[in-house]
Amino acid sequence: MKSFFRMTYPYILWIAVFIVAPMIMILLYALTKDGGNRTLIFRFTFENFTRFFSDPTFMRVLFTSLRIAFLTTVFCILIGYPAALFIANLSERAQTMMVLLLTLPMWINMLLKTYAWRGILMNFDNLESEVKVFIGMVYDFLPYMIIQIHTSIAKMDRELLTAAYDLGANRWKTFLKVTLPLSVPGIISGITLVFLPAVSSFVIPKLLGGGDYVLIGNLIETFFVTTGDWNFGSAISLVMALIIIASMWLTRKIDRNAKED
Amino acid sequence: MKKAILILLVLCLLPLPLIAGAEQVLNVYNWGEYIDKQVITNFEKEYGVRVNYSVYDSNETMYTKLMSGASYDVIIPSDYMIERLIKEGLLQPIDKSVVTNLDCLCDGVLNMEYDPDNTYSVPYLWQTVGIVYDTTRISPEEMEEQGFSAFLNSDYKGHVYMYDSERDAFMIALKALGYSANTSDMDELNAAYEWLRNMDKAVRPSYVTDEVIDAMANGEKWMALVYSGDAAYILSENEDMGYCTPKEGTNVAVDAMVIPANASNPALANLFINYILEYDNSLMISTEVGYASSNARVLAELSGEGGDYEGNDAYLPRSGYALDEIYHDIPEELRSRYSSMWIKVKLHE
Repeated sequence: MKSFFRMTYPYILWIAVFIVAPMIMILLYALTKDGGNRTLIFRFTFENFTRFFSDPTFMRVLFTSLRIAFLTTVFCILIGYPAALFIANLSERAQTMMVLLLTLPMWINMLLKTYAWRGILMNFDNLESEVKVFIGMVYDFLPYMIIQIHTSIAKMDRELLTAAYDLGANRWKTFLKVTLPLSVPGIISGITLVFLPAVSSFVIPKLLGGGDYVLIGNLIETFFVTTGDWNFGSAISLVMALIIIASMWLTRKIDRNAKED
Repeated sequence: MKKAILILLVLCLLPLPLIAGAEQVLNVYNWGEYIDKQVITNFEKEYGVRVNYSVYDSNETMYTKLMSGASYDVIIPSDYMIERLIKEGLLQPIDKSVVTNLDCLCDGVLNMEYDPDNTYSVPYLWQTVGIVYDTTRISPEEMEEQGFSAFLNSDYKGHVYMYDSERDAFMIALKALGYSANTSDMDELNAAYEWLRNMDKAVRPSYVTDEVIDAMANGEKWMALVYSGDAAYILSENEDMGYCTPKEGTNVAVDAMVIPANASNPALANLFINYILEYDNSLMISTEVGYASSNARVLAELSGEGGDYEGNDAYLPRSGYALDEIYHDIPEELRSRYSSMWIKVKLHE
């Protein structure tokens, strides 16, 4: 057992260097203001946060990001669940084939796929920017949702269904009482895999939405790259990190409640 | 056994540095699509060196990369960024005993405020910011008469591209209002912000970046804010298009070659800079990208009779116009203001 623990050292080192250290740096940047001129003079302040939360524009951007991420997730479930259910009911060979087909688009770089969508959507001038971004996001993230749900349905014991039928439940009731509850963990991890990248996405809105569609990811990019205001950019990143942590905690909680039922 | 494999692996890696060490390497960092690659190949052949060529899409990206410790021998930033690099001591002087072609520079790029004697920088290409417009929709007289205020003309609603660059957007607003593009006066900036909000309301522009080039070449909208070099390309693709350098004055921008203080091969960098200035090479580059050459002879020839850009109003930038300005470096606090206000304009607030 002890030797196993030792094998995690590289991983712990990896986390420390590439995750913990940058997070601390972001925290430091977010809580300070530059003294100017690249000298190491800085002062602690909450200015960056008050600036963000007191500005209605930034609040609107935050709200738009949450809204589109939420809509994307809901749509991915609505489309993804029936698809996953359908795949899980196929023969084993067909299932492997379908999962392969699903993962196929993932072999292509996301940037490339988004550029392709840009070419397609360019012909639909009267579509709202938000609709275009929404289409791009659902397209990009849907496979994650289907695969997660499919995995949890596929590993379900089929005898349970037979038992439910034997006890007189019809198909609809079997689905509601057996299949659906057992696939909740799949839905939960699907939500995590779709909502989190959707809320922080910045390439898709940038390429598909045009300049007047700004999400929080674009905001962070602007303040880091164009403005060079790393302090404010870090503050926004931190706000987003907190939102992500909160939503993860929330989904975990739902997951646990579902299991207790 | 393990040791044997290890030794074998090390032996495999050995020849790599030996081969690499045989020739000198020059690290060049330039804007994307801003050179004729043949010039690089020729330079490599002529001097028996290897050029490591990489590109960026904004001065700020370049600056961030440089600050993160990357080492380059030649970089080609714009005026205000050079001003900042000089101020922060990040450049080294040009060796004028090697760069002997400085006397070929055209008047338009001489005596720039950020580096009047070309101590640190050697102009590469230059441009103005102006308006490309469809002459079948808007007559040249109408356009010249309006200048930047054409962006407030609601007759053009839905037919306008605005370049998504906060500095250029604020520049046209400040110029239209008769202020300096380098102002730090908050009242003037607020007035410019109001001007831009009115612009957004009046013409509802599409905020775009480089896709504007192909879009205007296809004549998709009536007018667009563009850089003159891109306009030169648009005009050569679509003869209905015209270029207007607005009467209110505009930004003249110079991109110049500099050598960072931490360059690993400054001697070769100086040779490269001198090579780029030569007539043949400058001609190839300017012909390829459409931006105005810093070489006086090339400039005259390309815009003159029989030249590639003869009759192309966008190729030759206006110079010596009192209201035109180059950008100065502005403090971070002001940049942050620009960003916030620009986002508000784009979100129609």
